Amino acid sequence: MQRPRLLLIPILLLLLAFPGSKGRYNDDFDDGEDLAEFDDNDFAEFEDMNEDLTAEKESAPPPRVSSAQPEEDEDEDEATVELEDGQDGFEDSDTQDQDGKYDQDEFEGFGDSEKPGPSMKDPLIIHTVPAHLQNSWESYYMEILMVTGLLAYIMNYIIGKNKNSRLAQAWFNSHKELLESNFALVGDDGTSKEAVSTGKLNQENEHIYNLWCSGRVCCEGMLIQLKFLKRQDLLNVLARMMRPACDQVVGISQFPSFLVCGIHFQQVKVTLNDEDMDTFVFAVGTKKAMARMQKEMQDLSEFCGDKPKSGAKYGLPDSLAILSEMGEVTDGVMDNKMVHYITTQAEKIESIHFSDQFSGPKVMQEEGQPLKLPETKKTLLFTFNVPGMGNTSPKDMDSLLPLMNMVIYSIDKVKKLRLNREGKQKADRNRARVEENFLKQTHAQRQEAAQTRREEKKRAEKERIMNEEDPERQRRLEEAAQRREQKKMEKKQMKMKQIKVKAM
Amino acid sequence: GGIFNLCNPRHFTIGIWPPSTESNPTLEDPTPDYMNLLGMIFSMCGLMLKLKWCAWIAVYCSFISFANSRSSEDTKQMMSSFMLSISAVVMSYLQNPQPMSPPW
Repeated sequence: MQRPRLLLIPILLLLLAFPGSKGRYNDDFDDGEDLAEFDDNDFAEFEDMNEDLTAEKESAPPPRVSSAQPEEDEDEDEATVELEDGQDGFEDSDTQDQDGKYDQDEFEGFGDSEKPGPSMKDPLIIHTVPAHLQNSWESYYMEILMVTGLLAYIMNYIIGKNKNSRLAQAWFNSHKELLESNFALVGDDGTSKEAVSTGKLNQENEHIYNLWCSGRVCCEGMLIQLKFLKRQDLLNVLARMMRPACDQVVGISQFPSFLVCGIHFQQVKVTLNDEDMDTFVFAVGTKKAMARMQKEMQDLSEFCGDKPKSGAKYGLPDSLAILSEMGEVTDGVMDNKMVHYITTQAEKIESIHFSDQFSGPKVMQEEGQPLKLPETKKTLLFTFNVPGMGNTSPKDMDSLLPLMNMVIYSIDKVKKLRLNREGKQKADRNRARVEENFLKQTHAQRQEAAQTRREEKKRAEKERIMNEEDPERQRRLEEAAQRREQKKMEKKQMKMKQIKVKAM
Repeated sequence: GGIFNLCNPRHFTIGIWPPSTESNPTLEDPTPDYMNLLGMIFSMCGLMLKLKWCAWIAVYCSFISFANSRSSEDTKQMMSSFMLSISAVVMSYLQNPQPMSPPW
């Protein structure tokens, strides 16, 4: 009798537990969920509830999926296996698993923390492996491009540098003899204190070479600058494809207060001595260059006010224009030989500028006008374009020789050129006018500068008096200063009186 | 003919270079200085903001500055800007080994 009763108790307990949980389960779903709607899988009861959560849960398994790089099917199985394993940790879940029902009371928040895993219906999202973890160089194509660009730049640098160097050397070889026969000193890099001829070009840049020649009767010296194109810079090379340009030879001849000749581009600048050049300003060159120089150059803008004129009167080609201080100067400079030189070399001439008032391009100063007139030097400036328009070969350098002959001829010519009396007067008047204009413009500033200087002096004197240790000397200095002040005041008063009298 | 007669060694003066009116070379071509500055700015941007393309542009800027530089210029300055740009590139890749993505 007792045995069956004893057996009954566990059976009763089981029976009670089951419907009880079921009943509670039903309560939870009284919101309208019908049990019959759910599929018979382990996680059916979570399907609707955890609709929002599945989105999260799906992203969580994928990192695990991707890092392991498993097959699709295996993923699901693995995931499900894991979750099931997790569930097995709970005592009651053993029986409940089989039925797919959970005791919500006993496992609070269990449903939320449980990872239900991807349901069979939703597709598995495969995320791509980040590029840097892939073992392929293709993903680094931008970097490879960059490095290739750098290598191209370096290659261009080496090639451009060599080309410029070869051109410079070719020029020097062809002109060396002429220069050495005309100048005592050829080549000076400015490092040694004595004038010793180095006999070679001085490289300033990868595209600029200088040569200083000195020791000729009429000039202080001649600076020749070979301004090549920046072949060593790839950006410049590309820019030049849009806008063609050519190498230039600049010559600047300077005469210590003599004539200064400058040749741009085969820029030759010759500086001459005072007696060797009369006072005039003259320029001839391409129309474009003349227009530019008239605006930029200090002396051309001041002395040659008229627009550039055509040189047809003298037989010059139409491509060239003349800027001159007065007609007489043009007549004097344009003799037959000069015209011949210019006409035959017209395509190579960029500009020729003779001036006794040369001071370079206009200087823009922040404080307004400069207080002093810029220093002028007698200069002859020649700017020649190297033929070839960028595609210059070393052979082209020989064609510049006649230009150098023209330079030397010009030096001698200008030395002999003299204006007649009328011309000289006109020139002097011009120069006086320019100076006066300048003084007027700077009058106010000079006054201010003078005022500050006076104040400075007074202050310095006062300081001296203060610093004087001996009281006796101090007193004496003070008295002296006072007397000086009084004298000045008297003088001023006298002046004012005089002006008043004159006005009357 | 006539040219050579004038070249009498007893009557000329020899002046040394540079002549006094030589213009300041810095004024003529500011490219290397600008490029140097740009390079440094880009490499700082690349380092601070962790932008790879900034660092690469900095390398290019320092190369361009070097190509345009005058021979009288300080090599130390060149080298320092160059090293800075290289370090910017290296640091950007160490911090984030992902390849650079194109802007398009």
